[in-house]
Amino acid sequence: MKGLDVLLADRTEQQLSHGLRQIEQSLDKQIEKWALTKAEKKLILGRIRPVGSLDDMAECGMVIETVSEDLNIKKQVFAELDRVCGPHIILASNTSTLSQTELAGVTAHPERVIGLHFIYPAFKVDVVELIRGLKTSDETFEAARRFVEDTLNKQGIQVYESPGFVTSRLICLFINEAANLLQEGVATAEDIDKAMRIGYSFKHGPFEMADRFGLDSVVAALEQMFREYGELKYRPSVVLKKMVRAGQLGVKTGEGFFKYDEDGDRI
Amino acid sequence: MKILVINAGSSSIKYQLYNMKDESVLASGRVERIGTESAIVTHEPADRPGVREVSEILDHVTAVRRVLDLLLHREHGVVNSIAEIEAVGHRVVHGGETFKESVLVDDEVKRGIRDLFDLAPLHNPAAMMGINAVEQNMPNMPQAVVFDTAFHQTMPRHAYLYPIPMALYRRHKIRRYGFHGTSHFYVSERAAGLIGRPIAELKMVTCHIGNGASCAAIEGGRSVDTSMGLTPLEGLMMGTRSGDIDPAIVPFVMSKEELTLGEVNSMLNKHSGMLAISGFSGDMREIVEAMEDGDKNARLAFDMFCYRLRKYVGAYAAAMNGLDALVFTAGIGENSPDVRKAVCDGLTFLGVELDEAANRQRSKEARVISTPQSRVKVLVVPTKEELIIARDTYRLVSERKAAGDALVGNGQ
Repeated sequence: MKGLDVLLADRTEQQLSHGLRQIEQSLDKQIEKWALTKAEKKLILGRIRPVGSLDDMAECGMVIETVSEDLNIKKQVFAELDRVCGPHIILASNTSTLSQTELAGVTAHPERVIGLHFIYPAFKVDVVELIRGLKTSDETFEAARRFVEDTLNKQGIQVYESPGFVTSRLICLFINEAANLLQEGVATAEDIDKAMRIGYSFKHGPFEMADRFGLDSVVAALEQMFREYGELKYRPSVVLKKMVRAGQLGVKTGEGFFKYDEDGDRI
Repeated sequence: MKILVINAGSSSIKYQLYNMKDESVLASGRVERIGTESAIVTHEPADRPGVREVSEILDHVTAVRRVLDLLLHREHGVVNSIAEIEAVGHRVVHGGETFKESVLVDDEVKRGIRDLFDLAPLHNPAAMMGINAVEQNMPNMPQAVVFDTAFHQTMPRHAYLYPIPMALYRRHKIRRYGFHGTSHFYVSERAAGLIGRPIAELKMVTCHIGNGASCAAIEGGRSVDTSMGLTPLEGLMMGTRSGDIDPAIVPFVMSKEELTLGEVNSMLNKHSGMLAISGFSGDMREIVEAMEDGDKNARLAFDMFCYRLRKYVGAYAAAMNGLDALVFTAGIGENSPDVRKAVCDGLTFLGVELDEAANRQRSKEARVISTPQSRVKVLVVPTKEELIIARDTYRLVSERKAAGDALVGNGQ
């Protein structure tokens, strides 16, 4: 969308084509909302080249890792990228809760590792957390900031490494406390959402927000912060855990706190 | 003295190389579909065979390099070395109130153009890419920028202000600027010449109707009003732009359809106009073709387009208390006798009498298409924005050279 050439890699051929399909669907949704034209969609897709392995990343200026929020998997990917990419190539992780410093630890050049936390949905939300690990260099930070602000035209905020950074820490606590309210029978999910949406100008209330993030991601983030900080306020609400166990994960399964159609619109 | 004129769009570059001795075009051409693997370069030298090739061109820098290669080409080229090119002139859409006339490019000018990105989001960034591409390919080449808004800077306050809180004008310079100024200027002068009367005593409405469309009220050679406003979205209905609508539609649609600012902007700029009404195209040629085949939506799009244009001509005749000439130019204005006829047929009360045969006559020349008795002269004048850009660039570079020579002279 910003004229960048993008290489896309995934674990398997199937996941790769699934990823491309998802990008296509997201673009189609934007066309429906008159945000894009068909010609622009073609142009964007034409700039994305699926590749078979991480080896191809050697030709990039920057690599952004967005694999599952699992430290071991991320470490493997970073070790691999470190081997393939020359030391001038910035390695960024889109993690929302994990430690940058720990990821950088598996590389020979920790100074070029940085966190770029894009907030979901990334194409719409114009703020990115730039997370400095212990060894992230000023040059790496500056280059990443220029990429975010000048190339992507988004606002960057500087964050020093800390579990959940700024956005995930605040928003997950917000959702968790809303779930506690619900559990205590203080108000209905619908009314809690309405109160926060209208009362404090949120686009979505805490429950619809959680549905859109995916309840499993919310619980995983809370658990990670609970482990790191050891404070009870991060302990995931029973309501959230129960719904995750039931496979009721939000928009992606059609039902969370509310119900959604295939396009992700509230029913 | 040779001047290269560049008109950069977001995915295209049009260029002309002028020999300013006789204002002849040595070569012209365009690069289309920049950013794709199948970009098309069309190069047409004046006195030898042209060339058309498809290749991968991913950005404006590469596109300009291709253009230079072709200008130097052994077979298709027209210059022996880049040094023969004295300067490059760029078309820039929005000059805001910062730029009242053409200027030479420096860092401050570039900053000024960038500051105006918000006001012409489709165009100013593209022009900037063109300027940077020239800079990267030809370091130290003098560059000039010619603004679409400059000619309309003569509008009186009562025409350029909007009836909204004045604080908005003071804080953000929200006002009517108007566009296609270079074109309105050129065709009005040319029309006065054809009619054979001094421009100072003429009241004209010039209709620049291409993919973007605007008309201007020109009194005594000065623009006194024009249909585009703060941005090129206001005024006439266009290919994919809405033109005038009730401004309250914007917040209403945003709330009903849950649209963001970007989405509603894109809706009005890229998904409206003739494209929205016809349902299949924003291109007037395709609309007329479908209309002749009986397509009702195409007919509606055509009727709305002409109706809205005719209303503006009437309004500007009232604004000037009279009308001596009506001028058509740009893609649709030069090539669609159907549109010209539909507009003129409703203007007989003003004294417009179209010569049907002359209107149907295909030609690339500027010409009168009204009857000899017609009180209002109707003309078709092919626009030559590039020539004006070349002239301005030439003048600015020559002036600077003269000033530089004077300085050197004083030093001695």
